[in-house]
Formats: sequence, structure tokens, C-alpha cells
Amino acid sequence: MNLHGRNVQSGPRARRLDRITLNLASMIDVTFLILIYFLVTTVLIQPEDRLSPALQTRQAGAAVSDFQPQVVEVFDHEGQPAYRIGERIMRERAELIATLAALPKGEGIFINVSDAVPVGFAVAAMQEARNAGFEQVTYVPQQ
Amino acid sequence: MRLRNRAKTDRVLPVEITPMIDVVFLLIIFFMTTAQFARMTRAEVELPREPGEQQRAEEAGLVINIQRDGQIIVNEQAVTLAELVGLVDAERARTGGGSAMKLLLRADRQANAARLNEVVIHLQQLGIHTARVATEVP
Repeated sequence: MNLHGRNVQSGPRARRLDRITLNLASMIDVTFLILIYFLVTTVLIQPEDRLSPALQTRQAGAAVSDFQPQVVEVFDHEGQPAYRIGERIMRERAELIATLAALPKGEGIFINVSDAVPVGFAVAAMQEARNAGFEQVTYVPQQ
Repeated sequence: MRLRNRAKTDRVLPVEITPMIDVVFLLIIFFMTTAQFARMTRAEVELPREPGEQQRAEEAGLVINIQRDGQIIVNEQAVTLAELVGLVDAERARTGGGSAMKLLLRADRQANAARLNEVVIHLQQLGIHTARVATEVP
């Protein structure tokens, strides 16, 4: 017996008993902490993307060029947000998609946003302009 | 022959896991710090649910949050339009302006576009001609 009350043996058997044992408890603790951390952050942080419109005010736009730009107006129509291209007023996003698809894409497009509409509708118009293939999408605030 | 095999099994393999635990802790600290920073710059707003441009994510730069009630939040602080102009001007001086300056507009999808329009007009007056509008990937 040794001081700790264990049997002391000699020879090859004793050498096998003296092997270093790996204490994995701390590593398991850390692994669980990481797991919990990633679970929590995955729920809290939503994946984000972005749209990159050019910004232009109406006066600046008029000064830049004389051509008649293609304009999508996002405005309040009888209490509901709507889109207008030329004389055509669209309430549904599907109509906007179909109309944008038919427009020539070379000159780019202006998204003219009224103060009264929710931001979501303005961003939807920018997204659909991008999806339709317009390279240059310009955000123009109503003034 | 038998003795040699036995000698092999008796060999002790010392596995030192202390550096690994150090590294793991460092990683935890790194991710927690960056997550905290992300939370600092990004206020809780319901972004428009759009797929965006689906391009490689870039450095955020100055993040301007517009909440549903029209309040503007920058770095966890509510700011007025005049203060925002000062912050944008400082950012422009820091980055040198032009394409090096990255602005991210995070506007709540339910917020009236009036506040976003005001911000865009002020950015225009500062000579900033492009900004990115954040979307929430559906």
C-alpha cells in the first residue's frame, strides 16, 4: 500500500496502471459552451443582404440629363401603397414584375418614393427592378 | 517477439490538450466580441424581406438604423438628422469619401419612407451618391 491507500505493484502491470489518463471534462465543457453560443446566436441574428441603389434627389436628376428616365413611382393610392409606371397603376407585386420585364433595361430606372408609403414597398420595387435586369437602380425621394 | 509487442502497448502517448483549450477559449472570446459589436451597430429593426443582390458580404462601415417610429439609431445612440449629418461627415473624413465610404441603411419595413427620404436627401447634400439598403433574407 502507498500513502493514498492504493496497492503498489511492480513490473509491467504497474507500468500499465501508471498511464496518463486524459481528462476530457474541460474540453466537453468548452464544446457545450460553443454549441450553446452558436445555437443562441443563430436564432438571434437573421441573415442579411443588401441592395445598392444610387441616391438622387429630383433636382440633381434633372441637372444630370435631359432624357426622360423610366420611373417607378411608389405612392399612396386611395389609402393603399401602389406602384405607377407611366399611367399604369399597380397594386400587386406580380403586376409590377410583369411591367418591369417589358421595359428596356439600358437606361436604368428611377424609384420615386413618396413619404407616405412603408419602406418595405420601396425596397420591393428596388428588388424587382434588380431582378428584372436593370443595372442602374436609382432611389429618388419625393420632395 | 511477444515481449516487443508488449513493450509497444506499454508506451505512453502524452496528449497535451491545454493549448487546445486555450485556443478554444480565444475563439469563444473572439466570436462573442464580434457578435457584441454586431449588436452594437445593428438596432432591432424588421428589415424588408427581400433576397437582396446576393453578392459577397462587404464591410458594413457606418450603419444607420431607422426604426418603425422614425427614430434614427447609430451605434446604439438615438441621433437627430443634424447629428447624423455630423457623423456621416466624420466618416467621410475618416475614409476619404468616394467608394471607400460604405454606408448601410437599415430601415424598418413598416416605417414610413418619409424618414428614409429625409436621410437620403441629407446624404445627397453631403455629396454621397450611393448607399446600401439592408434586407432580411427570407
